[in-house]
Amino acid sequence: MMEAQTIPKPIIPRFPSLKFILRAVAVLIVAALFFVPNYVEDTYILHMMILIFINVVMGSSWNILGGYTGQYSVGHAAYFGAGAYTTMLLLQYKQVAPWYGVWVGAAAALVVAVIIGSICFRLRGPYFVLASIAVAEIFRVATLNLKDITNGAEGVLITEIPPLVIGGRLITDWASKVPFYYIGLVFALLIIGVTWLVRNSKLGYYFQAIREDQDAAHSLGIGLTFYKNVALAISAIFTSLAGSLYAVYVGFIDPSTVLGLDVSVQIVIICIIGGIGTITGPVVGAVLLVPLSEALRSNMITDLLIKVGIVGEETRMGLFLKEHLSQAHVLIYGILVVVTILYMPAGIVGFVRRMTARKARA
Amino acid sequence: MEIFFQSLISGILIGGVYALIGIGLTIIFGVMRVINFAHGELLMLGMYATYFLHAVFHIDPFVSIVITIPLMFLYGAILQKIFINRILDALPQNQILLTIGLGLIMSNAVMLAFTSDYKILTTTYSSSSVTLFGISLSTPLMISFAITAVITAALYWFLLKTDTGQAIRATAQDREAARLMGINVKRMSIIAFGLGSALAATAGALISPTYYIFPQVGSAFTLKAFVITVLGGMGSVVGATLGGVLIGVAESTGGVYFGSGWKEVVVFVLFLLVLLFKPAGLFGKSRT
Amino acid sequence: MRRFLVSLTLICLLVTPAFAAKVKIGFVNSMTGPEAPIGENLTNGVTLALEDLKKKGIDVDLIKEDDTGKPEKSMAAFEKMATRDKVAGVVGPYSSKCANAIAKLSEKYKIPLLIPVASKDEITKQNLKWVFRLSATTYDYATILLDMATSLGKPKTMAIINENTDFGTSGAKSANLYAAKKGITIVAEESYAPGSPDYRSTLASIKSKNPDLVFMVSYVADSILLMRQSREIGLSPQAFLGAGAGFATQAFAKEQDISNNIFSSTQWTGDVNWPGAKDFAARYRTRFGKEPTYHAATAYESMMIMGQTASQAKSDPKRTRDLLKSGKWNGIMGEVKFLDYLGYTNQNRHQMLVEQIQGGVHETIYPPKYVSKKPVYPFPGWTK
Repeated sequence: MMEAQTIPKPIIPRFPSLKFILRAVAVLIVAALFFVPNYVEDTYILHMMILIFINVVMGSSWNILGGYTGQYSVGHAAYFGAGAYTTMLLLQYKQVAPWYGVWVGAAAALVVAVIIGSICFRLRGPYFVLASIAVAEIFRVATLNLKDITNGAEGVLITEIPPLVIGGRLITDWASKVPFYYIGLVFALLIIGVTWLVRNSKLGYYFQAIREDQDAAHSLGIGLTFYKNVALAISAIFTSLAGSLYAVYVGFIDPSTVLGLDVSVQIVIICIIGGIGTITGPVVGAVLLVPLSEALRSNMITDLLIKVGIVGEETRMGLFLKEHLSQAHVLIYGILVVVTILYMPAGIVGFVRRMTARKARA
Repeated sequence: MEIFFQSLISGILIGGVYALIGIGLTIIFGVMRVINFAHGELLMLGMYATYFLHAVFHIDPFVSIVITIPLMFLYGAILQKIFINRILDALPQNQILLTIGLGLIMSNAVMLAFTSDYKILTTTYSSSSVTLFGISLSTPLMISFAITAVITAALYWFLLKTDTGQAIRATAQDREAARLMGINVKRMSIIAFGLGSALAATAGALISPTYYIFPQVGSAFTLKAFVITVLGGMGSVVGATLGGVLIGVAESTGGVYFGSGWKEVVVFVLFLLVLLFKPAGLFGKSRT
Repeated sequence: MRRFLVSLTLICLLVTPAFAAKVKIGFVNSMTGPEAPIGENLTNGVTLALEDLKKKGIDVDLIKEDDTGKPEKSMAAFEKMATRDKVAGVVGPYSSKCANAIAKLSEKYKIPLLIPVASKDEITKQNLKWVFRLSATTYDYATILLDMATSLGKPKTMAIINENTDFGTSGAKSANLYAAKKGITIVAEESYAPGSPDYRSTLASIKSKNPDLVFMVSYVADSILLMRQSREIGLSPQAFLGAGAGFATQAFAKEQDISNNIFSSTQWTGDVNWPGAKDFAARYRTRFGKEPTYHAATAYESMMIMGQTASQAKSDPKRTRDLLKSGKWNGIMGEVKFLDYLGYTNQNRHQMLVEQIQGGVHETIYPPKYVSKKPVYPFPGWTK
């Protein structure tokens, strides 16, 4: 390194760097995403896009607490559910429009976060993980049992969303997927923006210091509990937005769909497969996993294999795959998780980075 | 009062089985510091093994554990050797996710193989009971409690008196020190995981005659196992034994006094209280 | 006579080719996930229906979609079937929560949806014109049992035990409502999380209240557990009433130690004298090596109705809907007609049955029109 400094810098032809190109592409993609509903009429694709956005929001919000601050919560369903339930209950029983309800939901998630934070942040490592699960489960069972408020296991079904009218002009009557698409997109961009801001601010520096070594961070004068709670608060608010959007979009929620342990696990899987502690990680995770699970569920992979001609439709293999592959999609999901952790422990983004770094060195 | 004693006794009897699940998890955690999220799935495999030994070879579920135990020991050892050993130094969230992944693979492979039908293992004594002072005692639960006691005693003897047992305990206390003392830590980890999964499977076998079997049965037990282990102090075998019984009783009496819908909450609240006020567990020595 | 027969054959020959075109029908079901054990029965029922449709000359191109028990997945499935596969109609899904989620989509895409067995009341109470339901609703599970019990005895008190699921809670709710109408007091109400191995303490506290009736809503395996432990504890009311799935299965009836004299309400039985029911049960047994459940029967009948209707409508969704609305069928589920009544839209007024297990076999004992054996009432107590 010392030597390198003494040598005068060679004149590098001013090619845009790889980073610049990637950023430009990202901006283009985002811009293009705003026009997708104008050109794509296929509601199936729009549906998948909305689910991807929701998952991006879930993953990115978890990432602030889990990825940057190193607190591996496996109880994020509590915030998802808090948002979903508040918005839905207000809409169905108090006729509060969801565009107000969402913010009440975020406030509710914040309250839940304060409760959870005050309990769980006294614990570290595996104890924190287990406590986060326990608190989320308490919320689930309580929701199940407080029938008078939450309608219990029967769930909340919304029959109608009031049309959004601003200044006497009808903005949307929610009949199509387009408004949900834009809301999802905006939420996703918002959380990505917030993550970027956090990462490049003092806050992000404190978060990462806590992740790397709690005791060292503490001795540097960083208030552990305070900053962990800040990270949790940001994380909880955005997770609740995802929950509210999901609830209003699907139109029905019950404790197991929005508060179940599998929701929490799904959030963590998105981040770990994508790569935690990076802005792109949760995005990559969601963009890959949501379509993959759909392709497996709907037997598209078998159809593709048959179409390409790898497997004959009437052959034994073809019939076998047709019958069983869609049933095996959770199995394949599991295998994917195991393989990722064994061979790409830093997730896809981490893996790609290492590969490119190796190439650059070579 | 009769209701109280009834729920107390059945809580203790069920708690015996819970204890086995907890001991298995605590050994694994003690030796490797890995939280095994696939613990319930190991129990589920034990149930299926018991079911098929009963259905195909007509072996009584309580007898068939002599086959299930070595089988699942081997299975656990193989799992450890192929998967867990490779992530011992990985980040904790990766360890957790790996075991979650393994659990998904196990439960869904079983589902593909045997469909997701509920399997019910009926023995002649499945619903028989003995009445003592107005309290009914389930025969199969009493048998399983007795077997649990024997297995636990044997396990204590193994851990305290044999060389391998002592080596396992040494590894649990301090992995590095144990390595320096010339203990084959990798081998101990394999044995520990084998033991853990054999114990989980035994628990599965023991509740089979009074319970039912389906591929997703594991997850409820995984959560319970965590609670038991933390309650007793992670890594403490005695703690897990008592923790298991305690959870059994808490569930059973909590169901009576708070309504059965709330009994899970009772258990989780107990769990959080212990975590907060006595993080080393009720029976664990505090560890820094 | 001969001329008549000849002309009949000719008509058949002429008509058949018109039906020969393939009809594309969607089928959403929970094939994986927590609801898969019951979902499988629906898949089996549909498999048999496809064979029977083929015999009738209707070739169904079935688009099978798994919803994994999650509403958003069932929506994806429906979107795909409506926009990509362009199906004439959809049968399914199994669970009420998925049915809720896609009912609105069916209305939006104008693709008829025939729900075989998801029993939540509200689904057909939203004035949705494209959504049809074959089975009776949760409310009916409770009412028929209490009608039966009050016709046989004079119960004054009742305890309710239900699993803490959609089906369980709404069953308990309807039991509560209807008991009030019948002048029966509820002395205990307990809900439990399915899959807990120990219900003894709950049962003991119910026993101490000494109810005349014990009303239970639970699925297959829990019902066996509940009854085993009731026997252990010595809970012995005038009657055990099982509303729904668990108590109506063969697996439950086979456990004679604990199943005898238990009542259960069901949508369908294998011995009911609706056309083809017995035959369906026999075929199902040989084909799949187990007893058919009412889920299988509703799925079979739904697919039969949808297949025939869609083929008659030449795969046009709009015509399929109109024909479903105006049609009338009489098959293994008895008479089927989709009516608008009491706030319901396109709801089949299905006749529920009450069975009692006698000697390990389900016998139909109520309503009187379908009785196959005399009921045993009150409960004679446990045999040790």
